[in-house]
Amino acid sequence: MRFLDEFINYVSSVDAAKLFRMFWFFFIFEFFRFFLVEISTIIFWKFDSIFRKKGIADARLTLMKSQPLVSIIVPGRNEGKHIFKLVNSLKEQTYQNFELIVIDDGSDDDTPIICRNLEHLGMISAFYRNDVRGGKASAANLGLRYARGEFVIHFDADCSYDRDAIENILVPFYYNPKIGAVGGNVQVRNYKDSLCATLQALEYMDTISIGRITTSELGIYRVISGAFGAFRKEALDRLGGWDIGPGLDGDITVKIRKLGYIIHFEPTAVCQTSVPVTFKKLIRQRLRWDKSLIRFRLRKHRDVFYPNDSFKFSNFISFVENVTYNLILNVKWFFYLADMVFNFASQLIFIIPMNICLYTVNNFMKFLVFSPFRDRKNEGITYFLIYLPLMVFYFGYFLRIVRTTAYIQEIFFKASYKDNWNPAKSSRQAKIMKI
Amino acid sequence: MSLKVVPQAIEIRNNKIEFDNLLFFIVDSNSSVKIEPLIGYDAIIIDSKDAEFAKLILKKIRGHYNPEFYLKPVFLINYKESKDPILHSLNDGFIHSYDQLKEIADVAKQIFLKTTQLDYQLVATFEAQMMKKVLNFMFTRDLKTLKPIPDLNSVIGYTYPAISVNFDSSEETQVLEILEWGEREGLVWPDFHERIYLCNQCSGGFLSYREVCPHCNSSNSSAQDLVHHFPCAYIGPLSDFQNNVDNALTCPKCNKALRHIGVDYDKPSIIHHCNNCDKNFQDFFVKAKCISCTQDVEVQYLIPKAINVYKLTKRGRTAASNGFLSTGKEVEDIFGTLTMAVFKTMLHYEIERIKENPEQQKSSIVIVNIENIFELYKKVGKKAEKTILESIVNLIRENVRPTDFIAFENSSTMYLGLINSDALQSEATLENLKTLIEKLIKNNFNDFSANINFKVKLLQPFNKSEFQLQELTKDLFD
Repeated sequence: MRFLDEFINYVSSVDAAKLFRMFWFFFIFEFFRFFLVEISTIIFWKFDSIFRKKGIADARLTLMKSQPLVSIIVPGRNEGKHIFKLVNSLKEQTYQNFELIVIDDGSDDDTPIICRNLEHLGMISAFYRNDVRGGKASAANLGLRYARGEFVIHFDADCSYDRDAIENILVPFYYNPKIGAVGGNVQVRNYKDSLCATLQALEYMDTISIGRITTSELGIYRVISGAFGAFRKEALDRLGGWDIGPGLDGDITVKIRKLGYIIHFEPTAVCQTSVPVTFKKLIRQRLRWDKSLIRFRLRKHRDVFYPNDSFKFSNFISFVENVTYNLILNVKWFFYLADMVFNFASQLIFIIPMNICLYTVNNFMKFLVFSPFRDRKNEGITYFLIYLPLMVFYFGYFLRIVRTTAYIQEIFFKASYKDNWNPAKSSRQAKIMKI
Repeated sequence: MSLKVVPQAIEIRNNKIEFDNLLFFIVDSNSSVKIEPLIGYDAIIIDSKDAEFAKLILKKIRGHYNPEFYLKPVFLINYKESKDPILHSLNDGFIHSYDQLKEIADVAKQIFLKTTQLDYQLVATFEAQMMKKVLNFMFTRDLKTLKPIPDLNSVIGYTYPAISVNFDSSEETQVLEILEWGEREGLVWPDFHERIYLCNQCSGGFLSYREVCPHCNSSNSSAQDLVHHFPCAYIGPLSDFQNNVDNALTCPKCNKALRHIGVDYDKPSIIHHCNNCDKNFQDFFVKAKCISCTQDVEVQYLIPKAINVYKLTKRGRTAASNGFLSTGKEVEDIFGTLTMAVFKTMLHYEIERIKENPEQQKSSIVIVNIENIFELYKKVGKKAEKTILESIVNLIRENVRPTDFIAFENSSTMYLGLINSDALQSEATLENLKTLIEKLIKNNFNDFSANINFKVKLLQPFNKSEFQLQELTKDLFD
């Protein structure tokens, strides 16, 4: 109680100048970028959507009239157990002119038996198998090689899709012919499985649902999720498909941007996925994802920063924003921590709880303000409220530490080339070729 | 005319030889292929130098339903060089010249001796009848096994000559059914020889196995290796990497030359391209095209059959001489008929009834035998046998009184109990029935004329039913 009294006294003694001095990092970078920019963009997007309504309706009509063949490719390894469910859920889709191509990347379970059977029953258009594992990119490329559709949609076998998801992800191609790829809205299906999954669900709501609407509107949308992404086949053919991962989803998005296409995020094209339910698995996944920032943004596609013939301002901004908010500010946060420790050492006992309170208030505010803009906003809102206070630890500390670890591993040790997510034979060649 | 080497003491007159109290008939290339005139001869010698002609005559003799034909000793002269296993299986001996008549006369006598030990009781079903015929043949020839012989003329690719002669080559599957029946009855014991797969439409055994496109069933496809280029993750058929100039392989995505398999590229699988429907696939269907009926059958739907060497069991060995009981269930469950046991009971009651007023009450019993019905069963198959019998029963039921009763002794012989019908009335009824049955068979099986025999006997009030039935049967077959 005594501490609480002291804390309240301390907070009431802090004026605006001191508050800004103590939490400059939050006000300058995070509040600005992740609240002010996002809310103003979202409001503009919502307002603009009134004018886009007719164009989208016309695009939908054109799509449904022209009925282009769509190739759904589902690359994966040991995913046989999910395929039957996926095939059945696809029967419910409002758009049905698709071919379903499943590619097995050297599974060592019953996947080939299950998929061959489904192929014989006509439930899968084609099933291709690499007896020797080649990595997810090669599996996706095998599907692409034999895809006949005008558009290619990349699915993950363990995801499920809203019944209008395929239709909705295709509409933008008819709304704007410059759109080369469309990302779907990936939501967390298993958010009740564990605390870890619940926190990820909150993160996805923020960074994917809202964050990607913002980046898409600003023209800096940079990662089309592998779980649900649609592409013009012509664009993929020009690129020769996917390159070696990890991080191949972000890589293909950058490459399509470089071709001059617009990348669009479609919040109404909803896909549900299962996220890791333990922190150990989550760390492994995020280390892999975060390493790709260094490998692909700073190494493979560093030319985006150069003012050469292929320079594009939107690509430049996309990369700068990505690198600034993920890499630079991540490092800067540690400077901020040092600043606090050295300059406010005696007050740290009050500053840390203040910091936590500030972020928590911000999280609640964001959650409530953005909720009306989320697709299917009624789902799970009350369930998530009690977990919001934990987001400051999850997002502000846990993920920041994981991210920093990944950057150090990649910058100094090129650890992504050792990741067994990719077969060693491919990683070895990628390392030699510095890609 | 062929020159026959005949010892002076032996005289051939009109193709006949009398030797050692046996009358031989020589079938030569000028002889008719009709075998019915041969019934009066003790043994046959085929002397034509034409193996196919000899085989034709042998098949006709061994395929006849009458034991006087199919058990007749048949010898071949000048055929030893023939390697046709069917020819070897169906004759009783080879000779080089008529000097060796003594040898074949001894063989013929041995066969006659065995023939006298045979049991000629009629058996209940077609399978039993066929099996009995084979057992009789084997018994008289001291044969212990029935061996399958590969035969291009048989629809299943194998033949069992001693039994197959009863069928056309297209009906060979019936031979397998009869042998399986014999196995179930404990008459023969199977020793696995080979497994064959038959068309599920026509039971043909000549199948062409092909890898076909799962989409259009065409066998017009080509296969290529899939090539995976590690550095850029491109994967495609080998042709994507080839050029028209040299043998170099170049990645179509990154334009790099492929150098070393396992280092910068590998071949993770194979892909097939259908030249008919233009689709690609990895898992082809294996289908079997039947050469006989051209049906394309998925291999899992082919009918597997074991081709066995059949050995006679102890029961089989004694069955020929002692006869054997067959369940005959097939003829017992025909609607509108009684089992023989019930028929005899009913007959007993009828005898008791007429005893009360033998002068006024007259009833008859009748035996009807369709002599050559097994020939028809052979043609139409086992499944049709029951349909034929049901049709005959329906026809009889329509032309007798509801109180009259019918029972099958076997699938060629039946008994009728005609109540309140004297011998004359019964004769008239039976004459009418005979015409109707003949017409029924003729109308349904164009080329088949049924030989129907019947006997009518007035039911005697003071004789046992069993005795009266035996008398009736004896009258018909004697």
